[in-house]
Amino acid sequence: MKPPAGADVLVDAASKSFGRVAALRHVSLQVTHSEAVVITGPSGSGKSTLLALIGGLQQPDAGRVLIDGRPIWQEPDVTRARRELVGFVFQRHLLLDALSARANVEVPLIGAGMRRGERRRRAQSLLVEVGLAHRAEHLPSQLSGGERQRVAVARALANQPRLLLADEPTGALDSVTSARVLDLLFSLRDRLGMTLLVVSYDGSVGARANRTVTLVHGAIDATSETALSSR
Amino acid sequence: MLAIISANLVRRPARTLFTASGIAVGVATIVALASFTQGLRNTAAGFVHLGGSNLGVFQAGVSDPTSSVLPASLAGRLQRSPGVARATPLLLIVEAVKGDAAAITFGADPGGFFARRLVVVDGQRALGADAVLVGDRLAASLRLRPGGVVSIKGHPYRIAGVYHSGILFEDAGAVLALAAAQELASRQGEETSVVVELTPGTRGARAAKAIERRFPGTQAINDPEQAARAGANGTLISKAILVIVVIALIVGAISVANTMALSILERQGELGLLSTVGWSPLRVASLILGEGIAVSVLGAALGLLAGVIGGGLLVGALGVRSYISPSVTAWGLGRGLLVGVAIGVLGGIYPAWRVTRMTPLRALSGT
Repeated sequence: MKPPAGADVLVDAASKSFGRVAALRHVSLQVTHSEAVVITGPSGSGKSTLLALIGGLQQPDAGRVLIDGRPIWQEPDVTRARRELVGFVFQRHLLLDALSARANVEVPLIGAGMRRGERRRRAQSLLVEVGLAHRAEHLPSQLSGGERQRVAVARALANQPRLLLADEPTGALDSVTSARVLDLLFSLRDRLGMTLLVVSYDGSVGARANRTVTLVHGAIDATSETALSSR
Repeated sequence: MLAIISANLVRRPARTLFTASGIAVGVATIVALASFTQGLRNTAAGFVHLGGSNLGVFQAGVSDPTSSVLPASLAGRLQRSPGVARATPLLLIVEAVKGDAAAITFGADPGGFFARRLVVVDGQRALGADAVLVGDRLAASLRLRPGGVVSIKGHPYRIAGVYHSGILFEDAGAVLALAAAQELASRQGEETSVVVELTPGTRGARAAKAIERRFPGTQAINDPEQAARAGANGTLISKAILVIVVIALIVGAISVANTMALSILERQGELGLLSTVGWSPLRVASLILGEGIAVSVLGAALGLLAGVIGGGLLVGALGVRSYISPSVTAWGLGRGLLVGVAIGVLGGIYPAWRVTRMTPLRALSGT
């Protein structure tokens, strides 16, 4: 498999509100293509919203989000840009329960219009990558929580993203399984070279990353050494 | 995509089946009525060509050809018309045979070509004041035999013989002498129709028009479609089918829309995920539309099967089995299938549109 390169991320004074609630306030953050960054902070601090802005799932009310210098929301085809640039892992695996593990990994490839045979080969090799080749034909209900999350990781890698975004990927797992999933995520990042942003309320995850950014009340904690700025 | 569509339908089997069943009822009704109408047309074909004639002459403007009334003198005048080889009068009496209300009693001139063409398969060819011939289908259904008695309008007639003509109406009925039939029906000097055999080379449509011009107040029918249109029943059923198609489309589409709308509410996370992993809004909408069409096609398939069976049951329920055989045509089935697919498309449009308006962020929130 061709290793994807990482992507540079620039969040420039981005703000986002939901009604009267300000989820993010003038947040600025720069992540270089070779980095693995953990975003941490208490519940409701805006971690997931920041990740959604970076992943092109939401548009900032103010400020800019640039991936490799390009604002994802100004791309002619946002969906395509997201598909080609970003892979997502969520707290809940969000696997389609009627489909096998392999078919779940194929789902993003269907979106990319890939042919069936190629899809199958790619999905199978990704399951090998996450150590689940022997579970390829199992339904999600036949997998353990850790295995489901590994399938979700394989799905996130399907379109060879340059930016892997994980939103509390171990939030629903026990400590042993969490450690295994984190091992997988960071080892894949080391092998494949994509930029990795992990949202976690668990501060210890930061030990695995290049640096940690802490959000408090929708702003980056100024005391955090690794935060570039928060205006 | 197809695998996902089928998996999504299979994982909610009861809902899929109930929705499909609703569509199936509409499609089945359409197919059953279409096959019944086609059966009526086929029967009308036999009605037009009674006795192997080329055309039948009836009173103009009647709602049902059997209620036609013509003067007894018409047959003789028709006989002398250009292009007419032979003409013979008939008096049709309906709901007269005891034990089979659908059987028609034909009053026929014993010397006319209608009576002479009956092939007697059992007994003797004898038509008189108290003697009757019965068709082989009627004989089989009522277990009648030569020498026995059949009651027509409460009057007992001796069965002289059993005939076969190859025309459903005739074989499911009985033939009396015209004079006896007129007396029985208290319609002396009247006839229902005159069946006409044309001279070789004469075109039926042209001859029919010439007859109608020559004898105002009559209608000459030479093709089954014309007969079906002339009969009120066929027209009513054809219009009823149209109404049912519209109702089936509306009710079916609402049913599919309701099911799919419920489905997308339950699957917001899943649909948001598809969008998140790079499915375009059009592709996600296609998935929803595809599911709607798939459940409709399933319903249509069930409906086609039920309609074919239902056509037979309908004929039985109406008590017209003896002279109407439901006929399933490719167009009848195709129409049912088209309605099914149209239901899926119509019912899937709104939920599919709603999906395109959903934000992928729902996947992140896990709702």
